[in-house]
Order: sequence, then C-alpha cells, then structure tokens
Amino acid sequence: MIRNYFKIAWRNIMKHKVFSFINVIGLTIGFSASFVIGLMIYYDYTFDKFHKDGDRIYRVVTDFYSPEGQFHNSGVTTALENAIKNNSNFEIVSGFYIERPFKVENRDNKTEFKWPNFVIFANQDYFQMFKYKFLAGNVDETLTNPNQVVLTKARAKDYFPNLKPSEIVGRTLVYNDSLNVKVTGVVENFNQRTDIVFEEFISHPTIMQTRMRDFMLENNWNSTNSDSQLYVKVKPNADLDQIQKDFDALAKANTDEESKRYGQSRQFTLQPLEDIHFNESYGIYDWQRGMASKALLRNLALVAIFLLILGCINFINLNTAQATQRAKEIGIRKTLGGSRKQLISQFMGETFMLVLLSAILSIVLTKWLIEIFADFVPEGLEFQLLGTPIIVFFAVLLLGLVTFLSGFYPALVLSKFNTVSVLKNHLGVGDKKVGLRKFLTIFQFTIAQIFIIGTLLVGKQINYLLSKDMGFKTDAVVSVFSPRGERELSKKELYAQKLKSIPQIKGLSLGGMPPASQSTKTSTTTLNNGTSEIQTNLQFIFGDTKYLDLFELQLLAGRVFRNDTIQEIVINEAARKVYGFKTPQEAVGGLVDFGDRKVPIVGVMADFHQRSLKSDIKPMALVGDWYRPDFSRFQAVHIAFQNSNTDDLKSTLSKIETAYKSVYTEVDDYRIEFMDQTIARFYSREKKISKLLNWATGLSILISCLGLLGLVIYTTNRRVKEIGVRKVLGASILQINTLLCKEFLILVAIAFVIAAPIAWYGINDWLQDFAYKTNVSFWVFLVSGIAMVVFALMVISIKTLKAASVNPINSLRSE
Amino acid sequence: MTNILLSLNEASRTVNSGSNKVTILDDINLQVKEGEFISLMGPSGSGKSTLLNCIGMLDSFTGGGYTFLGEPVHSMKEKNRSKLYKEYIGFVFQAYHLIDELTVWENIETPLLYKNIKSSERKALVADMLDRFNIVGKKDLFPIQLSGGQQQLVGVARALIGKPRLILADEPTGNLNSKQSTEIMELFSQLNKEGVTIIQATHSEKNASYGSRIINLLDGKIVDE
Repeated sequence: MIRNYFKIAWRNIMKHKVFSFINVIGLTIGFSASFVIGLMIYYDYTFDKFHKDGDRIYRVVTDFYSPEGQFHNSGVTTALENAIKNNSNFEIVSGFYIERPFKVENRDNKTEFKWPNFVIFANQDYFQMFKYKFLAGNVDETLTNPNQVVLTKARAKDYFPNLKPSEIVGRTLVYNDSLNVKVTGVVENFNQRTDIVFEEFISHPTIMQTRMRDFMLENNWNSTNSDSQLYVKVKPNADLDQIQKDFDALAKANTDEESKRYGQSRQFTLQPLEDIHFNESYGIYDWQRGMASKALLRNLALVAIFLLILGCINFINLNTAQATQRAKEIGIRKTLGGSRKQLISQFMGETFMLVLLSAILSIVLTKWLIEIFADFVPEGLEFQLLGTPIIVFFAVLLLGLVTFLSGFYPALVLSKFNTVSVLKNHLGVGDKKVGLRKFLTIFQFTIAQIFIIGTLLVGKQINYLLSKDMGFKTDAVVSVFSPRGERELSKKELYAQKLKSIPQIKGLSLGGMPPASQSTKTSTTTLNNGTSEIQTNLQFIFGDTKYLDLFELQLLAGRVFRNDTIQEIVINEAARKVYGFKTPQEAVGGLVDFGDRKVPIVGVMADFHQRSLKSDIKPMALVGDWYRPDFSRFQAVHIAFQNSNTDDLKSTLSKIETAYKSVYTEVDDYRIEFMDQTIARFYSREKKISKLLNWATGLSILISCLGLLGLVIYTTNRRVKEIGVRKVLGASILQINTLLCKEFLILVAIAFVIAAPIAWYGINDWLQDFAYKTNVSFWVFLVSGIAMVVFALMVISIKTLKAASVNPINSLRSE
Repeated sequence: MTNILLSLNEASRTVNSGSNKVTILDDINLQVKEGEFISLMGPSGSGKSTLLNCIGMLDSFTGGGYTFLGEPVHSMKEKNRSKLYKEYIGFVFQAYHLIDELTVWENIETPLLYKNIKSSERKALVADMLDRFNIVGKKDLFPIQLSGGQQQLVGVARALIGKPRLILADEPTGNLNSKQSTEIMELFSQLNKEGVTIIQATHSEKNASYGSRIINLLDGKIVDE
C-alpha cells in the first residue's frame, strides 16, 4: 500500500512539474537555511558542555558602575582570590594569570619561539577545576613549586618536535631569556569545542620572577586587570544569593575614598561557564575566533523559520488550488472503498515525498552554503556535523513538522470532497478556499516586503556611516606598526628617516593608534575651571607634533605641544565643553589634574569621531610620548600619500615594506593598516547583517513570487473561457491583463500596508544602537513598495499575457 | 431458495435547493433478491442515478428504511456502512472513472488495497481478473491509452475484484458504441448467471432487455414494474 502511495505520489509530482518545482524550490530554500542555521546554533551552544560539573563552574567577573556608565571586565582584582578562598560555598577556587612571554627557548635543540599565546600562570586547582587527561606527569604533583610548567600535547609538539610525552617531562624551557622552567606534565588538548584554549600552564609562584612581581605583591583591591582571571566551582548545594551577598560585601568594604567621592562602585558577579561563549561584555580568550551572538543566532533562526513558512505556504496554496484537478481521483477512490483516513495518509505521503526530496537537495546545498556564509558560520563548523545524532534527530523532526504543516490542511480539504458531487462534476471546493489562499499570500508578501524595506534602510545606514565625514583625513593614509615588543625608539626614528626619502610620501607622523581605532586609553581627570571642580574620563590619542597636520585635524585655538615629550595636551571640543570652558580660547591655559600631575592645555582641536558612529564623541586629548625613554607609546608610523593613484600606491607600499625590512631585520611582524579599511571594519557587523538581509530578501521574494506564479497559472487556466468570451466581445490584451493582475496586485498592496509599520518599527529599534542615524525616509518605503509590485507584476504577467493573447477560438472550441 | 439482498421501505430523498424543498426520490418500495438483474429506466432527472447512489451508500436516503442483507443501513454509523459497502458492493460508471495516474493493473488492484489484502494475494487476484477479461497485455497501460470499451472492461474488472454480491452500474454503456455495448452487456449477463446481483440504470430498451426485471422511474417514483 505504501509503495502504491509513493508510486502515485511520484506520478503526480511528475505530472505537475511546474507546481512540484515551485514547491520543491520553496521547501529546499527553507530547509537549507534551517540546516545551516541549525548547525550554527548547535555548534555555538555546545561549547564547553563536556566539563565535569560544568554547570557548577563559574568565572568571577567585575562590573564597574560610574556616572559615565557601566563597564565590564572579565578579570578581577588579584586580592579577591584570597578573600573568597575559605568561603564554604566554593568547592574549588582557582585564579590564574594570562601572560604572553615574548620568547620561549628549548636550548637542547636551540629553537626559540616568539610570543607564544595562551600561556597562563596557574596552580594545581586549575587542573582540579578543568579535568585534563595527563599523558605524562601527575595531576597531584604538578604546579606546586615555582619553575614548573605543564604543556598541552599540541604545544609540546611545537617545543619538542620528536619526543614522546614521557620524554618531555623533566626537560627545561627558558622563558624571556632568563627564566628556567621544568616541564612536569603533558596533557591532552580538549578535543571538544571549548573556549578554554590555554596551551601552557606555568606554576603560579613563578610569576614572582617576572615583570608582574610588583603587581602581584601589591595585591591591590583597586586595580583590576583582565589578565587576572578567577574561576570557582560552587558546591552542589551552594547558595548563589549568599555568594553574591558576600561578593557585594567584599566590594563595599574595599572601595577606596576616591571612588566613593565620584559615585563609582563595582560588583563581582558569577558568569556561568556556558555564558562565556556568548557574552561579549567579558569576551573569550581566543579573540581571533570571534564570539557567538545570541541575538544574531536568534535573528538567523527567525530568517530560517520565515523561509520555511514561506515554502509551506506555497505548498498549501498550490495544493488547495489544484484540489479540483484531483477531485475525480478522490471520488473514485472513495467509491472503491477508500476511507478518509486512508486518503489523508495518501496525501500526507505525497507531501512527505516532496519534503524528502527537498531535504535531500538541501543537504547537498548546505555544504555549499556553509562556504558562502563563511562570514557567519564559525570557523570550526564542518558539514560533517550534520551526522551528529542529535542533529539528525532534529532534522527528522523538522521534516515531520514541515510535512504536517504543509500537507495536513490540503489533505483535509481534498479528502473531504463529496463523492457523488465530485463524480458528477459539481465542484467548487477548490474555490471555497480562496479566502485562505489570499490570506496566506498576503502573509508571504508581508514578510518579503519587510525584508525589502529592511535591506534598503540598513544599506542606507551603512552607506551613511561609511560616507559621513569622520572629521579627519581617512583616505590615502596608512599606519605601519612597529614589531610587537619593540621598545627602541631609535629604530622607529631610523625607519621614519628612511621613509622620508620616498617621494610619493607627503607626510609622516610617529604616534600611537590613528585617530579612530578600536582601542582606547582612558584616564580619570579633574579640572578646576574657577567656578567648580569637574571630573571626567579623558581618552587619549598619542602622537608627535605633526600628528594633527598629518590627519588634517583642525586646531581651533592655541598650538600643538612644543616637542614630543613635553607634558602638554591638546583637548577636543567635547572635552572643552565638559570642562566648562565657553570658548576654545578660554580653555587654553587650563590645568588638567591627572591625580599624580597637573598638565596644561595648550590647544583645542575640533571634534572628530574616535570610534564608529555608534558612539558619541567623547572628551579626548592628544598627548605626546611622556614616558620616554622607559616606555614609548609611539607604536606606529602614520604615512600620508601625495595622491591615491592605484599604480603609484602599489609601488609606494612596496617601498614602505622594503624600508621596514631593512630596519627591522630580525623579526617578521609587518603590520600595515589603511585608515579607510579600519573604518570599514568598524561596521563589519552591520555589513554582515546587510549581507544576511540581502539573502533573506532575495530568497523570500523568490519563494513568494514562485508561489504567486503558481496561483496565477491556476486561476488563469480556470478563466480561459472567460478570457475567450471577453476577447470575442472586444477586450484588448491590456484590458484582460489588467483584469487578471488586479486581484493579485491588491494582495501585494495589502501586504505593503501591513509590512510598512512593522518594518518601520523594527528598523527604528535597530537604529537605536547608533549615535548617528540616517533618516528613515519616506521614499525608501515608496521604492520598496514599488519594487515589490514590479516583481509581482513581472511574475504575474508571464502567465497572464500569454493567456490574454491566446486566440479565443481555441479556448472556446473545447466547450 | 433465494435470499432478499436488500429492501427499501418507503425510502425517499429530499434536498433543499434555496428555499424550495425538492423531492428527488419519493416513497420507493423495492425488494431485490440475490441473483436478480434489474434495469432501472426512466427519463433524465427521474432519479435513477440518485437511487443507485443511495443504494450504493454513496448518498443516503433522507427518509424511510433501507435494509441490506438484513442490516438496517439507515440507522448505521458511517464506519460500519463503509465496511458493508466495501465488502459487498461494486460500482461501474458511465464515464468509467478510472484513476488516470494508475495503470490498468493498479486500477484493478486499488479496491484490494483498501480492504487491506496481502500483497501476494492481491497479485494473484489481479492476475486472475486480467486473465478472465483478456486484458493481460494491457496491464501496464494507462487508461488514456485504452479505447472506451477497454476502459469500461477495466472498470468492470475493478468492480468485480472485491468479489461483490451487488454490482451497481450507472449507464455503463452510455459512452460506448453499439458493438462495445453489446460486449459489456453480454459480460453482465454472464456475471449474473454466475450469481452476482446487478442493478443497472439505462436509457436503452435493448440493454434493459438483458435484465430479469425492469423498473420504470418518473419524477422519483416507481411508476411501473
């Protein structure tokens, strides 16, 4: 019986190729989107799920509250660990410190490694918290004394390429030229998805022999470093509220006078292990990998669901519309003894077959989609994940659900036909469902319309962001960064000297980051402007005396500082206003108190955007390189070109690189950044959203229009006779086409009316993230409405024009 | 000794057409014995088809009693009625009503599927039937590839496959030429001799003459028997 159902299902699919094609396309798109997005959700939600008692492991993080706002730090003060060590709610308390050595040597075979990452100073507790498999060494006897290190298998392979783990134990590594450390263990890397990516574990006491010694000894409650991490494992019956109270009490007891005066406070909170992968406030350790965003995953899931629903709607619409064509078969089957239940299961079987076909197609597509959406899909996500039992389970569930959603209603409608009237050709059941089909079509076009409006507005905002004047020179400027860890100023100066000989270069400036960057350095300052004492956070950019000229920053009053190291500052307009000066001129001469020193304001520069346009312009100051010769803030040479002619640029860039190589001979760490690219990178997330919306829009228009085409084909076929009669009576092709299109265009228009406010609300909500917003213009809605109508009209006309131009003799003769 | 297959007792059917009550069948009293071959005659609209449909349980009487093999159909639940009907009744239509998407073989097989008969048994039964009607060579063809007479042959074969006690034929030769008509009617009379009860609706005196009993209908009433 089942075979028989499938046979007839297949024949029906082949008989109505166009409808089957439309159905399969719609469902395939929906499935492909669901599979890819489902995989992403699965991938991101299975991070760090394998740890024993992982639900009891938390990271302690710090939230700072101040009148300026709230700040988050993934670390805690080093003093906290000892203060909570004896708290009875904790089973294990493990603090560790992330520190990247600049060099590690294996002197046995004379190899050295620069800047190894994921190195932490930890103690035994760490291995009690996170269970690693020890390939050599013993968990109980390791990291108890200074100068010991445990390596992961991967790291051990780098340092000791040809040795077995057991041979590695006992060998010595030399850190930062002088620190001798003995390997006491080798552990297996976690082989499941994890954000706990550390590779090298040096015993915690060893840190006293590094530059961090003072910092550790100080054990200061008021300094918080994100490298100082603290994990706790709470007891099974722990009272989390009590823990929070204890934390709050500690934070309160250790607040210094200054913080109290300025209304600043902090809070220690427990961040669940599973939250680490998602919470951007605190970040993850391997920042190159990028974090998962729950909001993004949610939006993606919504897109997938919408696409699936659109596919299902096509199915319902086309099948109920086609019902009359199958009525005869149904009637006969009933006279032959088929019960309604048997008929329903037959139709469900047919639906399932189409669904299955779509699913198979989309599995093939998924592989390809993972590549297209590489921007969204996390790096480690592989097609093979599709074979994971739980994914298979959900996929089967999804197939069942979609079969039910799209098949059940048509099956009910079809199986309800009255046998006698069907066989007598008194029909009309298909037509009774017109109302429902109209409703569903409106729903489809509403979604498509929302996507169109959203796409246009997001595109408009991105365009606005990228084209808005940042307030400084952004084109034909590059920054070349010194090698990491390079401290000598002389080399930078030598490099600058060499660059000067390149004729295409217009100007040079030594400095820190360019005016707009992701990284900021901020200090709290106070200023007495005569009437009151004002405290504010002041951001810094570091640059030499030519920095303003090079970036074409406008000086409104005063002058630049006299030389690169003198303690003078140039503030921006925002700072000038916050400090309460009425004019730029008035601000010159003001004294800014940094706590340990007072520095005069010598100039005021115009405001410019220091970060993306998502944030406001903050008070800022340009300062020189105050800490020479101990420490230089000038890590980059900023270079302005004469012109941005492409050919010229290419040769100039290669000259810049050659000069770099001739100065920095030992290291290979050439980093160059184009200012305009840096700014474009601010909006990478928005660009992702835009790309996603483009796809969602394209696909939803495609599915909806195909569905519309199906309905048009159906209705037009039914009206062939009417068209013939009208033509005989003298109607023109255009008149007939108008007649046929009208009823569908009305649906599209209604969809627009519904979609416009929803889209307006959504985009308004999204724009709240930006300090600078584009107008939500009326014309965008108009354009997208017209676009939708044009799309629909094109699709409809394919069929209606053909129908209208048929010679009426042909359509009337058959009667 | 012949059993009563079905009996109608003042059976009637009325439908509402707008605000008018239209009587299609009016006080029909009829007893059909097993082995009879009845021809229903009458002009168009006299109620022949409706009577057949009601007897065949595709439609129902709105008044009166209907007993089939001693069981009261008029007071039966849909499920039991359908069971009864699957078991004992076969239909033959004027327009053949074969399923276009199925081959000859599959069309004949379909009633067996709904009776949940095992695959091997189905095969045997269908093969027998094809053999008997001499259409073995046509088993893989679709209805559209057959002539009208052949299609009706398949229709009759399909009606017979479930071994019904009663065959209801609504103008079975209405779409056929005279040669094909004769073949089908010969077939019916052959079947009747083998014991199958047949009720046919027809316009043709010649076809009616194959029957053992002729009932004339006019405006939903039996006027002459």
